[in-house]
Amino acid sequence: MRKLNVAVVLILVFTMLFGMSSFARLNTPDDALVIGASTEIFISLDPAICYEVLPARVVNALYAMLVQWENVDEALEIKPDLAKSWDISEDGKTFTFHLRDAKFANGDPVTAEDVVWSYKRYLQLGSPSVWLLESVGINQDNMDEAIKLIDGKTMSLTFDKPYAENIVLGILTNSWGGVVNKDVALEHEVDGDMGQGWLTDHSAGAGRYVLDKWERNTLITMSRNENYYGETPNLKRIMFRDVPESSTQRLLLEKGDIDVAWDLAPQQVDEMRGTENIDIIEIPAHSNEYLAMNASWGPLQDPKVRLAIKYAIDYDEIIEDINAGFALKVQGFVPKGYFGYVDQNPFEQDLAKAKELLAEAGYPDGFEVEVMTNQRETRKAEAAKVQADLAKIGIDAEVVIMQASQMYGKYREQGHQMVVAGWGNDYADADNLAMAMASYEAGQLAWRCAWYDDYAAMLAEKGRFEPNPAKREQIYEDLTEYWFLNGPFAMFYQSVEFWGVRSELKNAYDSFFGYSMRTNFGGFAK
Amino acid sequence: MNIWSYIIKRLFLMVIVLFGVACIVFFIAHVIPADPVTALLGGNAPDEVIERMEEKLGYNRPLIVQFGDFMSGAVVGDFGESLRTNNPVIEDINTYFPATLELTIFAMLIAITLGLILGILSAVHRNKWIDHFSRIFSIIGVSMPVFWTGLLLLLLFYYKLDWLPGAGRLGFFTTPPEQITGMYLVDSLITGNWSAFKEALLHLLLPAFCLGYLATASIARTTRSSMLDVMKQEFITTAKAKGLSKRVVINRHALKNSLIPTVTIIGLTFGSLLEGAVLTETVFSIPGLGRYITAGLLALDYNSVMGGTLYIAFVYSLANLIVDILYAFLDPRMRT
Repeated sequence: MRKLNVAVVLILVFTMLFGMSSFARLNTPDDALVIGASTEIFISLDPAICYEVLPARVVNALYAMLVQWENVDEALEIKPDLAKSWDISEDGKTFTFHLRDAKFANGDPVTAEDVVWSYKRYLQLGSPSVWLLESVGINQDNMDEAIKLIDGKTMSLTFDKPYAENIVLGILTNSWGGVVNKDVALEHEVDGDMGQGWLTDHSAGAGRYVLDKWERNTLITMSRNENYYGETPNLKRIMFRDVPESSTQRLLLEKGDIDVAWDLAPQQVDEMRGTENIDIIEIPAHSNEYLAMNASWGPLQDPKVRLAIKYAIDYDEIIEDINAGFALKVQGFVPKGYFGYVDQNPFEQDLAKAKELLAEAGYPDGFEVEVMTNQRETRKAEAAKVQADLAKIGIDAEVVIMQASQMYGKYREQGHQMVVAGWGNDYADADNLAMAMASYEAGQLAWRCAWYDDYAAMLAEKGRFEPNPAKREQIYEDLTEYWFLNGPFAMFYQSVEFWGVRSELKNAYDSFFGYSMRTNFGGFAK
Repeated sequence: MNIWSYIIKRLFLMVIVLFGVACIVFFIAHVIPADPVTALLGGNAPDEVIERMEEKLGYNRPLIVQFGDFMSGAVVGDFGESLRTNNPVIEDINTYFPATLELTIFAMLIAITLGLILGILSAVHRNKWIDHFSRIFSIIGVSMPVFWTGLLLLLLFYYKLDWLPGAGRLGFFTTPPEQITGMYLVDSLITGNWSAFKEALLHLLLPAFCLGYLATASIARTTRSSMLDVMKQEFITTAKAKGLSKRVVINRHALKNSLIPTVTIIGLTFGSLLEGAVLTETVFSIPGLGRYITAGLLALDYNSVMGGTLYIAFVYSLANLIVDILYAFLDPRMRT
C-alpha cells in the first residue's frame, strides 16, 4: 500500500509538471536570424579591441568602415564603404579619403573627425592587433602627422612608404577600422578610457545593425540600424544564442529552434547531409595548414631534402581522410580568393622522385627528425600522416605533441626541426602571406624557419611597392614558383568553414561568403 | 566541548584547507610549461608586442612576488582581473556562480529524494525486485558519462517527445526575473513572476536530473548498507518485539540512526557536483561557473582559474562545515 502511495505521488507530480509544459516553444521568428554558436570567445565588441574571428564579424555588422571587402565572383575586392572615394598622392604615401553622407545609428552625421578620432583611439588603446597599422608606419608617436583631419568630410593617412593600394586598404578593413561615434563614446568615458568599458557591450557605429544586448554566455542580439546609409538589411534582428556543445546545436537546428548551427564538426555535417529542411554551406576560410622545416637544421639545410619531403607527402589523404574533405587543395602561400592567388598545385605524392632527390642530396638511407605539433586533433593526425609518409622514403620522424603556446614559443626561437601548424591571415592580399612565408626580413614564419633567402625576400618586398596590379600579380606568381622549389614549407591545404542552416533561410551562401573576413548579416532573408 | 567551540575549531581547519588549496592552485598554474601571453595574443604577434604585454600583466616578476600578490588579494576576495573578459574575477564569479549553484542544489534535491527512497526500499526489501532495480539503476547512473546521459535525455524529451525545452536557462524570448540572488527559480518566486518560474523549472529539470542521477547511486547505496546495519542492531529487535508497526520502526528508529553516513556522502557529493557541473552546463548551454573556469583554463587565464577554483573550494568547505554541524546534531557523541 505504501509503495503504491509513493508511486501515485510521483506520477501526480510529473503529470503536473508536464501538464504545464506549454513552454515558450516557438520556431524562430520570420524577421530574425537565430544563430546557435559557442560565444565563449567573445571578449569585447569594441572595434579597437576585438580581434577574434567570430566576434570580429559581429563588429563588422555594427560598425561601418572607410572601405570594405566585397565578394566579386568568389574573390575579395576592396569597395567603398563610408569613404565614397579616395586619392593617392604622387609619392604614393598619402591616401586622402572623401566621406559620403552617412549617419550613425543614433542619427548623428558621420564626420571625418569621427574617423580620425577612432583611428587614433585604436593606437592609443594599444590592443593586441595594433601592429597591423604599425606595420605600415603609423604608430602612436607619429599619429598626429600621419592621421590628418582636412575638413568635415575629408581626412588623410600618410604611410612611411608607398605601399600598394590593396595592402593599405586591406589593413583598414580589419575590425579595428570600424568608425566609432566620438560624441557617444566620450559621453560614456570613465577614467580616460575613451569609452572602452562601455563599448565592450554597447555599440556606437554606423553599420547595418545596432547591438541591443549581450548577456554573457547566454545571448547576443542586434537589431537593424534604421539610419543605415546603404541598402536596408533584410532581417530585423540577428541573435546569437550561446550553445557551446555542437551536438546540442545540431538537435536545436533539426528541431527548428535555431536557423544556423555555427560550430558543427565535420562528421556531424556528413551525417546531416540529406536531412529534411537542413542545408550545409561550405565556404573557403582564411587560414592555411602547413608543414614547416627549419632550414638551418641538419639535412633540412639542403633544398633538395626539403623538396623530397614535399614529394613524399600524400596531400589528398590529408584532405579527404583527416579533414573529411573540408579543405581546399591550395599549395601556394596565397589563399584562394585573395589578390595574388596562384592557381598551381605542383605536388603529388611521388615516392620514387622523393627517394631520388634524397639520394642526390647524399641521404639515400634517410635520417632521423622530430615533427612537433600541438594538441589539436587534426594536427596530431596530420603529423602522424607526415611521419608515415616520410617512413616510406626512409626518414625516421618522431612526432612530439605539446601545448600550443609551448610549441609557438619553441618555433619562435627557431627551436624546431619540423612543425605542423597553421596561419590565419589579417587582410586578403598576397602581401600578408608573402612577407610572412617568404621574407625572412619580416621576422615571421620564413625567419622562424631560418630561410634566409635574399631573392625571395627581394620579390616579396618588390610586391609591396608595385603600383600596377597586373605587375604585382606577376611578381607573386614568380615568387610562388620559386618558393615551391626552394621554400621551407609544404602547404597542406586552405581550410574550409561550414555551417548547418535551415532551408527556409535564403541567401545563406552569398551572405556567408567572405573567406572568414566577413559575413554579410544584412543579406540573409526568410 | 560545546557546539560553538566545535564550530570554531572547524572554521580554523577550513582556513588551513583553503590556504593549501590556494598554494596548490597557484603553483600548478605557474609551473605548467605554457605561456598565457602568447595564448592571449595568438601565433602571429610580433615579439615586442609579447614583451609589452608581459610587462603590463606583471608576468615577468619573480614567482614569489606574484604569489604574495595573489594571496593578499584572495583574502579579501580580490582575484585580479580576468585576461579573457577584462572584468574583475570576483564579478565574473558573481555572474556565473548562481546558475551553477541553482543547478547543483536542484540536482542534489533530486539525488537525495531518489537516493533515500531507493536506499530505504532496497534495505527493507533486501534482495527483492526493488533492490535489484535500485542496484541496476544506480550502476547505470555512475557508469554513464554525464555528457552521454545529457544528450540522450535531450534526444528523448526534447527532440522526440517535445515535452521539455532544449537548452539554456529560460526560453529564448522570456525575460529573466529581476536579479536578486541570480538563481532564476528563487528570484521568480520572490518577485511572483510565475511564467518565468515555470520556464526556469522546465529548463532545469533535464540538466538537474542528469547531474543528480550521477549522485543518486552513492546516496542510495550508502543508505541501503547503513540501514541494513542498523536493522541488525538490538534496539530494532526490541522495537519490533514491542509490537511497533513496521513503519514506525523504519521511520522513527532505523532511519535517523542510519542517516549519519548518508549525510557525509551528501556533503561530499555536493562538492563533486559543483565541480562536475561543467559537462552538464556545456550540454545544456547553461552559463555557469564550471564553463567559466574551463574556458579560462583553455585560454591560460590564470586569474579566473585560480579565483574560480578557490571559490568553489570555499563553497565546498562551507558545505562540509554545515554537514559536520548537522552531524553533531544527529549524533551527540560527536560533540564530546
